[in-house]
Amino acid sequence: MSVARRARGLAAAPLLLAGCSLNRFQSALDPAGTQASRIERLWWLAPALAAPAYPLTMAALAVATGRRGRAPALPRVEPSPAAERRATRWVAAATGATVVVLFVFLAADLFTGRALLALGRGGDRPLHVRVTGVQWWWRVEYRDPAPGRSMTTANELRIPVGRPVVLELETEDVIHSFWVPALHGKRDHVPGRHNTLTLRADRPGVYRGQCAEYCGLQHAKMGIDVVAMPPRAFDAWYAGQLADAAPPADSLRAEGMRAFLSGPCAACHAVRGTPASAQSGPDLTHVASRRSLAAGTLPNTRGHLAGWIVDPQSLKPGTYMPPNDLPAPALRALLAYVEGLR
Amino acid sequence: MGVAQAGAGDVSAPARPAEPLTIDVSVLPDAAFGHRGLTWWATVAFMAIEASTLLACLGALVYLRTNTTQWPPAPYAPPDVAPFAANVVLLLGKLWPFGRAEAAAKRLDEAGVRRWMLIGTLWGLVCVVLRGFELAALDVRWDDDAYGSAVWAVSVAHTSLLVTDLLESAAITAIFFLTHPQPRHFSDVEDSALYERFLSISWAVLAAALVLAPRLP
Amino acid sequence: MTAVAEAPADAGATRAPTERERLERTWADPPGLWGWLTTVDHKRIAARYVVTAFVFFALGGIDALVMRTQLAVPEGRVVDPDRYAQLFTVHGTNMMFLFAVPVMLAVGLYMVPLMVGARNVAFPRLNALGYWAYLAGGTLLWASLLLNTGPDQGWFSYVPLALSEYSPGKRVDVWAQMITFTEISGLISAVEIVVTVLKCRAPGMTLARMPIFVWAMFVTAMMVLPSLAVIATASQMLAMDRLVDTHFFDVDRGGDAILWQHLFWWFGHPEVYIVFLPGTGFVSAVLPAFTRRQVFGYPAVVMATIATGFLGFGVWVHHMFVSGVLHQAGSFFTAASVLITIPTAVQIFCWIATIWTGRPRFGVPFLFVLGFFATFIVGGLTGVMLASIPLDQQVHDSYFVVAHLHYVLLGGGVFPLFAAVYYWFPKWTGRMLGERLGKAHFWLWFVGVQLTFFPMHLLGLAGMPRRVYTYLDGLGWNGLNATATVGAWVLALSVAAFAFNVVHALRRGARADADPWGADTLEWATPSPPPPYNFERPPVVQGRAALWSRTPDAPVVVGLSTERREILVTTAYDAEPDHRHRDPDPSIWPFVTALSVSVFFVALMFTPWAVVSGSALLLPPLLAWGWPKRERAT
Repeated sequence: MSVARRARGLAAAPLLLAGCSLNRFQSALDPAGTQASRIERLWWLAPALAAPAYPLTMAALAVATGRRGRAPALPRVEPSPAAERRATRWVAAATGATVVVLFVFLAADLFTGRALLALGRGGDRPLHVRVTGVQWWWRVEYRDPAPGRSMTTANELRIPVGRPVVLELETEDVIHSFWVPALHGKRDHVPGRHNTLTLRADRPGVYRGQCAEYCGLQHAKMGIDVVAMPPRAFDAWYAGQLADAAPPADSLRAEGMRAFLSGPCAACHAVRGTPASAQSGPDLTHVASRRSLAAGTLPNTRGHLAGWIVDPQSLKPGTYMPPNDLPAPALRALLAYVEGLR
Repeated sequence: MGVAQAGAGDVSAPARPAEPLTIDVSVLPDAAFGHRGLTWWATVAFMAIEASTLLACLGALVYLRTNTTQWPPAPYAPPDVAPFAANVVLLLGKLWPFGRAEAAAKRLDEAGVRRWMLIGTLWGLVCVVLRGFELAALDVRWDDDAYGSAVWAVSVAHTSLLVTDLLESAAITAIFFLTHPQPRHFSDVEDSALYERFLSISWAVLAAALVLAPRLP
Repeated sequence: MTAVAEAPADAGATRAPTERERLERTWADPPGLWGWLTTVDHKRIAARYVVTAFVFFALGGIDALVMRTQLAVPEGRVVDPDRYAQLFTVHGTNMMFLFAVPVMLAVGLYMVPLMVGARNVAFPRLNALGYWAYLAGGTLLWASLLLNTGPDQGWFSYVPLALSEYSPGKRVDVWAQMITFTEISGLISAVEIVVTVLKCRAPGMTLARMPIFVWAMFVTAMMVLPSLAVIATASQMLAMDRLVDTHFFDVDRGGDAILWQHLFWWFGHPEVYIVFLPGTGFVSAVLPAFTRRQVFGYPAVVMATIATGFLGFGVWVHHMFVSGVLHQAGSFFTAASVLITIPTAVQIFCWIATIWTGRPRFGVPFLFVLGFFATFIVGGLTGVMLASIPLDQQVHDSYFVVAHLHYVLLGGGVFPLFAAVYYWFPKWTGRMLGERLGKAHFWLWFVGVQLTFFPMHLLGLAGMPRRVYTYLDGLGWNGLNATATVGAWVLALSVAAFAFNVVHALRRGARADADPWGADTLEWATPSPPPPYNFERPPVVQGRAALWSRTPDAPVVVGLSTERREILVTTAYDAEPDHRHRDPDPSIWPFVTALSVSVFFVALMFTPWAVVSGSALLLPPLLAWGWPKRERAT
């Protein structure tokens, strides 16, 4: 592995620079999790091994092509037996070297694979979260065996740093794939199967992921934010999320809540603590505490929220959220109410 | 098989320093049996394609079985043995008339080919009719569940080959009755006999997978 | 040897002055449209395939250009997501099923008979049917895109997305039936190539003397049989799930979504080698002419080709590493996927040794071969990375895979294909393609490929999934996407240069004689373009490099009829003359049969009863096809 480390800086420098400078929150080459780091280490072995192979082959080709200079083409060349023997030796040596390099890679691969499997067994006190892919958002259910400790949210997965998280990947419709490159590789949500993915974040931060298996029209805008928090902060957040939605604090919000419950919103969305309990859309109990709207697509601001409620089809054409042609006062009240769902 | 006849040049003055040698193939026959002929190889190639198709259907059946503990899944019963056993016997028996037809074809015995091809074709017709009883004995519809889909896929894939084959033997028989057959038609009879073996044996395997496999403990 | 029939005395020994004229008369197609519809000449049919495939290539390219333009900037608004889904599905489907595989088999159908010294393919009428079926399938796909019913579920049609519940309408049915059409065509081409190679070789061309290109096409055709048969079956299962409520893939009724993936990739991965092996064949065909020596290590290269053919069927599961199946068996497929690199590496080293010990000259075909090395090897190396389960978990279904597959297919398939086109164009048309335009074409193509696809590796590592119609600003993907789009336009320019070169050469290109490159294989022993009967006197082969080893008194074959179409059948291993085979005359029935097949398959998108009416429709032409015509007395 140390060879790989050293080679990482040299042979693969251009790739390294380009790969890492793109972003620091959705890149496989900027790992923030144990598993992703493991993969990244193997990742750099590959170019380290390939790095000599490619230039060497190209150099051989260049010499082969150029060594006769611009000598006039002969009608035919009949290489001497000695020359053929020499060539045979070179081809055999190159083949042998290829085999050796491939076996080194294979060994490293199996080693990494085993390490990942071992990490996948969870370790102590893993956090269990069921992540369900739905066209085109994620339902996130924290499943604590203790009574009253389970709760549902959407499109945002908060996890404590340093603690293994076992994700149970389910789907409500087609195949989706959960991929947060900074934390781990991807795993599919397959109908009829119960896949799991175990990951552990090693430093706090926000890591973005996106569905990686084509799942229909809005596959492109099926994102998820994973927020890794220090354990204390996580516990505080968790306690807040367990609570029902606070009752409206003022009359405007009360009016907004009435609009929410009597209008089309409640047909799909749930707000715990109110009669709204539909599950076909994301749970909105604490929607205002989330970083983004429409599955990792829009920053969670008042303007975007308004735009999303009124005309989701222009932001995410094909989404199952219908447009809502609300009169301005009702919209204002609704926005105030939703913004209050912290 | 050294039939190449390097003969004296029988062409007029080519613009070459030396007179080219020639291999005169006019003495060779203009049809050949078995693996010497082109159609035999095509028959083998199509058998490879069809075997892949049947194996894909069978593979789907076997794969789906791994998803359930009970096979066939409730409430279906395994297909009745009788019609399947009967047709497997009948299909294997059909190889006899086709074998006789093949032998007749090798002797270039037109009358023999006519007789045995007619018997083989009628025999094949009985097999197709019996196939109807096999399908009826499956005890499941294709749209009931995946088990039904898979057993129907296996059966229908083979049935389509069986029907196509029946039409083909009927056509060859007709050619022998209605026209003056050419040498290649005799080798067609032989290739047809080869194909019959494939069809009969493949059904023995598939029928076992449909009928016996679910009864295994 | 057992004689079947007493061979009647033949007109083979006619005098030379009239021999060519008689051959011309016997092998000529009827004039005009009728001749165009009825021809069974493998060269005319293959040329049609090649031209049609390049038209589809251009259409698929335009399709890709629209996608790249959409992705040039974040939140692009060139097309909507629905149209984009059709575009990427049709692009992939088109490039794999209508361009890559058919064009490779088509070049094989043209060149294999010539390279083995045969007068035609083994089953000329079947060959014609194959083309018409292909044309029908391609037309169906592109017409559906224009009518806004193009398939939109991705070229590998994963279920349940492709089932009626999530893809109502006829879009997926179009895909499934298009598969059936093209697989019929592909299977027919494969049977043609297998039998032609085994039974129609010139006397003296033992298996050990067969050109490497012919070996490559032979192994390819052998791979086509089990793989295309399975995808045709699978696509029918998909169609039946949609049409008659079967439940192969319906999880709620005992079906399985992963079953589709197994069936699809059982075909899908060998497919890559079905495109790549002919590519290796092109390289091996071009190199001798441009290095003035035979390919180094003939046995090693041939064995590598055969080994690739076998190993190609052992790696399909690496497309399913993230489906969450086969944790334990995974290592086996990793090992197989890594090991398959070895035969390819052997071939590459042998070619470099060929160049090293030869006298290279920089014709356009040779440039494309060099481009093949530089591009394909990158794809090979990233392929090794994808074989690793941990690495694949990161880059699977990301733009890294898009980069990888284009490096492999363009590097291993299209670069050699362009080399082959420049190399054989004089044989096909009697005209040389322009050298300067060819070099412009090459450099634009080379730069375009790197510019378009190299950045995609980095995009994939930076988290960009494939098949997204747009991406958000602020993810750091803008610059690389813009670069890739510029590259795509460079590629468009390159293809335009190629098209112009072809059109220009057809009208004003320098005339080519029989053997403009001084090459070593039999196709160069007959005029350019070859006459309908290919060889006035079928050649006899004395060594591996048929033309270079030919002695001045090399024997030729005489005694084939000039009054009726006759081909020489030889033994499978030693290629000793065995018998003469009556080659069929032109016929309209393949065309009519293809029409019936088309009506059948298109109707099958709407009703299962099409099976009944389709069979009724198919019977008459098939019977007419097979029914013996009264022969002239022989």
